[in-house]
Amino acid sequence: MSGIKAVFIADTGVKGPSRTEDFYAAFLSRVRERNLQDSVQLVRTEFSGIYDKGIFLRIWPGGVMYRDVPESRIDEIIERTIISGEVIEELRYTEKPKSLRVVLRNCGKIDPECIEEYIAAGGYGALNRILKDMSPEEVIEELKVSGLRGRGGGGFPTWMKWNFTRQAQGKEKFIICNADEGDPGAYMDRSILEGDPHSVIEGMITGGYASGAQNGYLYIRAEYPIAIERVRKAINQAYEYGLLGDDILGSGFSFHLGIRLGAGAFVCGEETALTASIEGKRGTPRPRPPYPSLRGLWDEPTIINNVETLANIPPIMERGGKWFSEIGTEKSAGTKVFALTGKVRRSGLIEVPMGTTLREIVYEIGGGLETGMELKAVQTGGPSGGVIPADHLDTPVDYEHLQDLGSIMGSGGMIVMDSSDCMIDVARFYLRFCVDESCGKCPPCRIGGYQLLMILNHIAKGSGTPEHIEKINEISNIMAKASLCGLGQTAPNPVFSTLKYFTEEYLEHINDKKCRSGKCSGLLSYRIDPDKCTRCSICFKKCPVNAVKGSREEGFTISSDECIKCGECFRVCRFDAVKVR
Amino acid sequence: MKKPDFEKIKERQEKLSSGWVRVGMSTCGIAAGADRIYGFLGEHLKKNRLDINLRKCGCLGACYAEPLVEVEVEGMPRVLYGNVNEEMALRIIKEHIIGGRILDSGVYHLRTSEPLK
Repeated sequence: MSGIKAVFIADTGVKGPSRTEDFYAAFLSRVRERNLQDSVQLVRTEFSGIYDKGIFLRIWPGGVMYRDVPESRIDEIIERTIISGEVIEELRYTEKPKSLRVVLRNCGKIDPECIEEYIAAGGYGALNRILKDMSPEEVIEELKVSGLRGRGGGGFPTWMKWNFTRQAQGKEKFIICNADEGDPGAYMDRSILEGDPHSVIEGMITGGYASGAQNGYLYIRAEYPIAIERVRKAINQAYEYGLLGDDILGSGFSFHLGIRLGAGAFVCGEETALTASIEGKRGTPRPRPPYPSLRGLWDEPTIINNVETLANIPPIMERGGKWFSEIGTEKSAGTKVFALTGKVRRSGLIEVPMGTTLREIVYEIGGGLETGMELKAVQTGGPSGGVIPADHLDTPVDYEHLQDLGSIMGSGGMIVMDSSDCMIDVARFYLRFCVDESCGKCPPCRIGGYQLLMILNHIAKGSGTPEHIEKINEISNIMAKASLCGLGQTAPNPVFSTLKYFTEEYLEHINDKKCRSGKCSGLLSYRIDPDKCTRCSICFKKCPVNAVKGSREEGFTISSDECIKCGECFRVCRFDAVKVR
Repeated sequence: MKKPDFEKIKERQEKLSSGWVRVGMSTCGIAAGADRIYGFLGEHLKKNRLDINLRKCGCLGACYAEPLVEVEVEGMPRVLYGNVNEEMALRIIKEHIIGGRILDSGVYHLRTSEPLK
């Protein structure tokens, strides 16, 4: 079996039919001519992860990659590369991938339920060295050099949190991992906990050592059963190996870790609500300061870090803060994991250095839009974030740039939208989420959110007035300034940012009673074009509420009073005779 | 007090790594049927008395192509198969692992991410 060679063939074009088959056939006939078919395997690849580079080849052994390969060069490739092992420089593809896996370094590579695999991949090595050779101050200093900032959305420097807690006085101290990920469309933290739980645990032990905390909790939402199961197993294994418990690795440092389950309230991702929830109280926020790093869980100094932040700690400690600070941009070091979803061709979890542009993410990693329609906007930051319109696609993604555009990094949801997405509908969706999830403790959020949603409902229904725009700005400002916690302060963001970039769309809804994306059903009316209608009667039969009137002899019309705007007639018509306005 | 011998663990793991099959078993994979594929592969590897490690792993990020199965056999390139169903799983065992021929469908090459070296 040894000694085989393989050629992986992929068409990296995104338009038109795949050219892989033709190329494959040509290549195969050349291979057969030379009677090499038993030792050289040709493999057609479904997907290469690369776009717009023509026919793409990867040749094994060696792994050399060629791009834009014409059929005329097949003979040369067989002779020079496959047989003689030479590299043809002018065909070679050398571009570095846009992604860089720091946090996800082990995800999909190691068995998350097996501590030995994590150790074999270098895990707990950094912790071992820290406990032996480094003082807590040195750990914090290393973290300061790295420039790591909180990945949960706020972007607060992690070393400062750790340092505040270290310097704070308390009977005991705690470190909490915030795994209450609740943004619609985001699942970065879940994947990290499911794919590499030990890296988070190692990060927490390191944080405990640096800050003096001897107890830690992972606050995970109960909707993540697989993550919980894997973390539980990982904690047990770490205890078995003496990496948790008393006198870890003979260093004299003790650290204990437990899991607390969240019932899935979005507000419990807010740190003061989170600590209240762990204490067994109702999960509602309280005013800050005092910040949890001084008075957190049971009024003791508490570090609260996001899952991704903690998963960054082991590589930083292993390779040094300087290494980390060189990735990304000056103010936003390192990488960020995003859940790329929506109308993008290749949805999934990606990790890129900070400062990568949205265009690179959507087109070079995500492969562009699956619908073939034009990109309209990218939503980042979930219900606390905003939309970034197509003409800002070249913005580098980091904390500052996104904030300047009226959005936020957030925890890392990234939803790609095309022209079939209505911005009022999008704003309404996120706002409804925040209204549902508002804990109700402070009036600006509880009342303001509801009022704002009512206004959006009016606009979507066609009963909006120009004064509503003014009201939106007024209420949004009050919510942003007067709400108790981040949920209320940022809830108007999706409305704010859509209004800022898509004012026209709002005005169209209000003045012309028109929704250009055809999403706001209240503004639609369906009509049958008698010139195109062939009287096939399919819409008549399919209409669920019998709103299509008439007969095959007389022709059909739609009764707008009875129509529920479900769009069924539009979908089933094969003659383009049903018109939407 | 227990103290793991990191070097010994690394050595032992390296010995294991000459041949393996990995199934992406995060929520995204399981939702697409990865646990069924995992069980199926286990059953058939045993039936064929193959000395190859069947392991779980987390999410590679290519959620659109789940279930993902990665195969490493000595003397062959590491291959990632996507959208694996039972029929493909059987072919992976028969053709790839036993026969030494890479399947001509379902092969994914994810170079969107560079591994951390």
